[in-house]
Amino acid sequence: MRILIIEDERRLADNIGRSMREGAGYAVDLAFDGEEGLYMAESNPYDLVLLDLMLPRIDGMTVLQRMRTAGITTPVLVLTARDEKESIVAVLNSGADDYVTKPFDLGELVARSKALIRRGKGHGAPVLKVKDLEINTADRTVRRNGKLIVLSGMEYRVLEYLAHRSGAIISKTELLEHLYDFNWERFSNVIEVYISGLRRKLDDRNGDLIQTSRGQGYMLRN
Amino acid sequence: MPKLSIRRRLIASVFATQLILTVALVALATYFTRGQLRAAFDAGLHGRAMSVAALIRYSEEGNHELIFDRELSPPSLDRRHPDFYQIVDESGRVIGASSNWPGNLPGPSKPGRQYWDVTVDGVHYRTVRLDHLPVLDREGPDTKSNATITVIYAAPTDEFREDLWHAAILTLAGSLLLLAMATLVVAWAIRQGLSPLKTLAVSAGKVSASDWNLNLPEDATATEELAPLTGAMETMLATLYRAFSSQQEFLANAAHELKTPVAILKSTLQSMVQVPRTADEYRARMEIALDDVARIEKLIHSMLRLARAEQSAAGHHRQDLVPVDLAASCEQSADRLGAVADAGGVRIEVLSENHPTIKADPEDLELIWNNLLENAIRYSPKSSRVLVTISEQDHNAQVTVQDWGTGIAESELTHIFDRFHRADASRTRETGGYGLGLAITKAMVNAYGGTIVVDSRVGEGTVMTVRLPFKS
Repeated sequence: MRILIIEDERRLADNIGRSMREGAGYAVDLAFDGEEGLYMAESNPYDLVLLDLMLPRIDGMTVLQRMRTAGITTPVLVLTARDEKESIVAVLNSGADDYVTKPFDLGELVARSKALIRRGKGHGAPVLKVKDLEINTADRTVRRNGKLIVLSGMEYRVLEYLAHRSGAIISKTELLEHLYDFNWERFSNVIEVYISGLRRKLDDRNGDLIQTSRGQGYMLRN
Repeated sequence: MPKLSIRRRLIASVFATQLILTVALVALATYFTRGQLRAAFDAGLHGRAMSVAALIRYSEEGNHELIFDRELSPPSLDRRHPDFYQIVDESGRVIGASSNWPGNLPGPSKPGRQYWDVTVDGVHYRTVRLDHLPVLDREGPDTKSNATITVIYAAPTDEFREDLWHAAILTLAGSLLLLAMATLVVAWAIRQGLSPLKTLAVSAGKVSASDWNLNLPEDATATEELAPLTGAMETMLATLYRAFSSQQEFLANAAHELKTPVAILKSTLQSMVQVPRTADEYRARMEIALDDVARIEKLIHSMLRLARAEQSAAGHHRQDLVPVDLAASCEQSADRLGAVADAGGVRIEVLSENHPTIKADPEDLELIWNNLLENAIRYSPKSSRVLVTISEQDHNAQVTVQDWGTGIAESELTHIFDRFHRADASRTRETGGYGLGLAITKAMVNAYGGTIVVDSRVGEGTVMTVRLPFKS
């Protein structure tokens, strides 16, 4: 998963980004003003946007409205120092999916982010089930036939993304875009490595579970 | 000590006035009654004297001798103290007298009086003297005689005094009853009259920090005497409410502004404990956390400074003021900010026509110049200058800080002195500002009775003009 944090307090943005990487295994991009944030949100396929309201250049509310006008359906979680009812109502009515008020709990922020991404992909439960495979997005564990399977961080992220979109063919570029931040081009060769690692650990040597479509990408069969 | 009661005092004064009137009235009535009763008594006395005089006859012998038969005299009304009398003829010979006639009856205190009072054996009598009474005997042989007689008749006044006493008691009792009734009516009327005070107190008691509305009861607003009080109460409430809202607004702003730096510190600490780290990593994160705390500290310091400046602007007198040379003070600030200016490629020039001196706290002035200069430098382009001019006017010292920087948009101009206002969030935060600098500056200038005015055009630059009166 790849998320965008638009927050002008660099320190806060750094801390949230760190937490998202370490606590949820997300790829994180940072934007420090509304203009930059809007540009990034429009030009990259994010799975979630964390948006501060008090932003220089373009304020958060406008960023949100322009994103929605541009047809971007990515879930947006608003970070606000205001907790007046009216502003919360206005934020939600402008297309935000959730909000937290500062000072917030990073653990809660990560949990809410996970829930938003999950729902954004059309899943209600935190445990994704594909055939005999169970992926618990809350504690990031994977079981096959009830047996716990230990994955590396990147292997898990690849599997989770595929599981969220199970049954669909996911291109290598899409995987890269959603698993890495804006430097993703550098990592273009590693997806094959993770896929083969996953097949080995999931006992899927013939590619029945994770199918390869030549020249198109990968699909988790359901 | 019991509280003074307007009601009790009013009742007491009304009662006292009525009591004095009542006593006077009773005294007057008693005096008048006494006159009436005495006139009636005197008439009776006169009648009895005449009836005694009517008993005088000429003797049968025809010698012009007047005789009196005591046996025929009418019985006295008061048996214990019977009337007494004496009848004398023109020559002073006693014709007759009652058996109890006292030998030496005192005459009137003023000679010639017809009626007078005497006391015989401790009993009060009223006496009448009738002179030159013709003898009424027309049957005897001396009917042609023109002899006259003098009758002195006295009757005890016990009955009269008793009547007078009764009349006085009756008048007094009636008056006192009326007085008591009047007092009750007055007490009731005063209680009614003062009831708007009570309702006013009730509605004043309902005013609280959450409900500032003084719902004046109708009877209180309709009462003329309460108008100054209700007016003063409304003015006082309005003043208090302004002060209270200003404090609340400040508190809300302060709490709001503290949220962001606290959120930063919290996120720093939380991300520190999220996963196990090496000692070096912990150390690095700790230093960041310390830095976060320092920012919170700086913000709190600024808030306190602002609160204090606003308090002294509100009229707190200070004793620690010394004469300060404004030109020197500005030079000092310019020197101190020289490094910051150099870093931004900005040159600070200080021009002073003369050396105005005002009484102030040097630290306050330094803070004012620092804030103005920092702002000017912040918004100045590279290789431009910031000009500080110091001059003297009639009653004011004037300091202007001018830059040729980005300028301030017209829509922003009215807000730049507001607390927690930021023209551009990212820029002020980079220098650690929290939108308090100009608010503090203004509060401090106001504290010295001065004014600060901004003149700015976007793209051309900004001029801040501070005027400080010589006498604050």
